[in-house]
Amino acid sequence: MRSAPALIAVEGVNAAALLASAREALAGVDRRRRSGVSHWDASGIFGDLAAAEDSAGRPSPRTILLLYAADLAFRIRWEIRPLLDDGKSVVAAPYVATAIAFGRAAGISPRWLEDLFTFAPAPAESRLAESTARVGRGRRGFVEFSCELMSGSLNGISRGELVETTAAYLRTALGRRARIVNA
Amino acid sequence: MQRLLRRARERFSTAARRGLLVAFEGPDGSGKTTQRKLFKTWLEAEGYSVVTTKWNGSELIKPIIKTRKSIHALSPEEFSLLHSADFRHRVEQDVLPALWDGKVVIADRFLFTGLARDVARGLDLDWVLKLYQPLLWPDLVFYFAVSPATSSRRISATRVPRFYEAGQDITDLDDPVESYKRFVARVIREYESLALIFNFITVDAEQSIGEQHRKIRQLFREGERRPWSDWNADAVAEWLALAGRRS
Repeated sequence: MRSAPALIAVEGVNAAALLASAREALAGVDRRRRSGVSHWDASGIFGDLAAAEDSAGRPSPRTILLLYAADLAFRIRWEIRPLLDDGKSVVAAPYVATAIAFGRAAGISPRWLEDLFTFAPAPAESRLAESTARVGRGRRGFVEFSCELMSGSLNGISRGELVETTAAYLRTALGRRARIVNA
Repeated sequence: MQRLLRRARERFSTAARRGLLVAFEGPDGSGKTTQRKLFKTWLEAEGYSVVTTKWNGSELIKPIIKTRKSIHALSPEEFSLLHSADFRHRVEQDVLPALWDGKVVIADRFLFTGLARDVARGLDLDWVLKLYQPLLWPDLVFYFAVSPATSSRRISATRVPRFYEAGQDITDLDDPVESYKRFVARVIREYESLALIFNFITVDAEQSIGEQHRKIRQLFREGERRPWSDWNADAVAEWLALAGRRS
């Protein structure tokens, strides 16, 4: 049972598994410190992106990551920091590592990705939400949404390949230090 | 990636095949939009095929920014990140395709606008510059230099500055005109540093419109066949990789 206020990152490619792992992570926090989960797209940026006309053009992985960073800055400002300042523990699902893994899978340099997220505070703990279920085709989570957008671009790489490569990068990045939760 | 880099260099190192990228930079009220329009008309009369791209002008990202600006909901980081996303999308959708086809692209504001404004908002120059990587370097950057007093006078004569334009998110001043005066002085200071670092061509924007236009034509003629900056190869190669473009 975690008793000090902390930021807990739950990372993964499957939105359903992320949600289940986030709830589990929250349950492991002392009741007095327990707050809530900061989810992807709290700012609504990606909702607006999904509603855009096709004629506006498809965003590249780098554009998607800049938008993810803007959304994360919003989450940190309005959800994560206020709760931590209030002495609560907060779960961020997903957080930085998922976005970096997606960027690596899309061929973006790790240095640029690390630099992009320097504004984000380091989590006290990272969890990897693994799922045995296939990633859904709906646009439910960041990786699912982004890989769907990228399908057929990036020299023809398929959605499934991009998801799998993202998951592989995430396992490599977090595997040794993260608590792995099967949802 | 090496193959794509080679293709980018082959295309852009040949002066006859590549397009030209010309950026117009400067604070609000410096008259750069007037000059950009005159320049475009002249280029077309000279037989160039011209494409214009405007700051915060991507069809995809602009509505996202506009909504959030209208409710004053952006922190300096969010403001910076959304504008760099808008920029990246325009580079990929508008600028690089036109350059690849040998056109002249006139940018009414380029990445230096982001750098000047974001650093004036207190962000770190190095971090902001990285948001715009891989860099796409213009062949020419015209910087329209005016004093903060002239910029403030010209803007106030026509309208009340908008919330973010006036920098009210960081000055905490209720009066947009007073806030603008303070903010634009910071922006101009950053522009002047950038002009030195990145070797802009400075145009005295306090001169008459005709005088400035003549000078721009002359400087364009002198500078249009500068060698291509090899720093641009990464940006072009990444664009080529998207959907196997231009195969």
